[in-house]
Amino acid sequence: MAHHISIFIENRPGRLEKITKILQEANINMRAISIASLGEFGIVKILVNNPEKAYNQLKSNNITALLKKIIIVLVQDKPGGFYNLLQILSENKINIEDSYGFILQDKKEAAIVIEVEKYPQTEEVLLKNGFKLLSDEEIYSL
Amino acid sequence: MLNGKILTKGKNMYWEESIETISRKKLEEYQLERINFTIKQAKKSEFYKEKLKNIKEINSLDDIKKLPFTTKQDLRNFFPYGFLSVDLKDVVRLHSSSGTTGNPTVIFHTKNDLEEWANLIARSMYMTGVRKNDVFQNMMGYGLFTGGLGFHYGAEKLGVMVIPIGPGNSKRQIWFMQKFQTTVIHILPSYALHLYSYFNELNIDPEKELNLRIAFIGAEPHSEEIRKKIEDLYNIKVYNSYGLSEMNGPGVAFECEYQNGLHIWEDNYYVEIINPETGEVLPEGEEGELVLTTLKREAMPLIRYRTGDLTRILNGECKCGRTHKRLARIKGRSDDMMIINGVNIFPIQIEKTLMKIPEIGNNYLIEIHKEDYMDRLYIKVEVNEKLFTGTLEKLDTLRKKITDELREEIGVTARIKLVEPGSIPVGPGKAQRVIDLRNK
Repeated sequence: MAHHISIFIENRPGRLEKITKILQEANINMRAISIASLGEFGIVKILVNNPEKAYNQLKSNNITALLKKIIIVLVQDKPGGFYNLLQILSENKINIEDSYGFILQDKKEAAIVIEVEKYPQTEEVLLKNGFKLLSDEEIYSL
Repeated sequence: MLNGKILTKGKNMYWEESIETISRKKLEEYQLERINFTIKQAKKSEFYKEKLKNIKEINSLDDIKKLPFTTKQDLRNFFPYGFLSVDLKDVVRLHSSSGTTGNPTVIFHTKNDLEEWANLIARSMYMTGVRKNDVFQNMMGYGLFTGGLGFHYGAEKLGVMVIPIGPGNSKRQIWFMQKFQTTVIHILPSYALHLYSYFNELNIDPEKELNLRIAFIGAEPHSEEIRKKIEDLYNIKVYNSYGLSEMNGPGVAFECEYQNGLHIWEDNYYVEIINPETGEVLPEGEEGELVLTTLKREAMPLIRYRTGDLTRILNGECKCGRTHKRLARIKGRSDDMMIINGVNIFPIQIEKTLMKIPEIGNNYLIEIHKEDYMDRLYIKVEVNEKLFTGTLEKLDTLRKKITDELREEIGVTARIKLVEPGSIPVGPGKAQRVIDLRNK
């Protein structure tokens, strides 16, 4: 099961800088990042090459963080790629709690990170419908 | 226009001349007689029956030192009827504190008690120049809070037309002021400053289009600068009012036209200033905690009640001719009570509410700010791992939950600020949980 790190952060200058500095000092590579805010505070989600290490490093620096389960699905990098994925999920009544994506190979492949409630069921549905999921090793060695 | 003019010169300057200008000797004789009435009356209650069981009466005012103090905690412990000194059939009203920490403090009144209270307000208002032909807009809260109803009945007793509008809704306040040419208002000082900003917006020149001449301010601590500022902005006279619900409410002490200390109505209250640490009575003029004994109350007499307010008695006679002593502006509290826009709040009420969410633990800080002349309560809560589920939704729910529960507990809307761990300073020893930034 793959994970990304979810981090509580105040919305003011220097906070994100502090987090990325901690990760850099631990020699951790970031693959993708997503930020959501409610004004005064927000949550940063980071996909890294070593989530355990990143989490421990943040924790020892008194940063409130959490490892969260994710699924990474590959879709084609062309119009309708993401739509095809959502169609399957909605047909199966699977709600996405959070999602972000990044390109793997231009015009060819994109990776979509999703957080859902029902993990095994979602994986099953996606595999049955011919989607390729990235394994932990594949994710962390991106 | 009567703006700022003093109307109390001449023959009709007193509401009750013989009482207001009574000689000190006569007043003290009267007080001794009344203290003995109060002892007798109080002993009809469950609390004082036990507390005063070895005391019958005192022979000199100095002997009041022999009587025990009464505290807010006593009132709470003997909730609801332990202080009641008359039959319930003679009680016509109760007032109660807003807080729900433990038991609220409840005060009962007979018909005579209400009559005495109204009379003190009428006397106070008359002292500042309010007369029958004035129009009085009462912008204090009605209901359990004593500010609204206290002034209401006093003003009616004086014979003024009362607009019982209560607090809030600034545009409507101004509309009434303008349409009915209100001459006298009763308002929180912070709200008076806040309200002024609406005149610009409504394109109303308060000096030309209103007929205001007097404002009474009270219920929250404020500086002399704030009073001057309200006087200058509105071009009116502003008088300080002091009271507390345990002593009826407003009308305990009030400023006269000279605005130099608040005359405390000594025919109704016996005044002492004590050292809050030792309980020792301090010589006149020294600063300490105000202790009051009711002299006329029937339903709920209180003996040597510790108000928690810090002040001193001003020496010398007042030019107005009244012989009742003057209190200096209240300087602060001997306990940790906070006054937020007129509402009394103890930090423990906030702590109690936050403790309902055990994950918060000790990771919070209460801050009081001044914004646009109004007090604003902030609660900073550190988001630690126990509180964090990784979703924004849950954090938002947490914030709303704290806001709602606090509003229910203290009657004030606090702003909840979720902050990162380490944002709240931890010093050695007992953590400081409240930071008041209003006067900084």
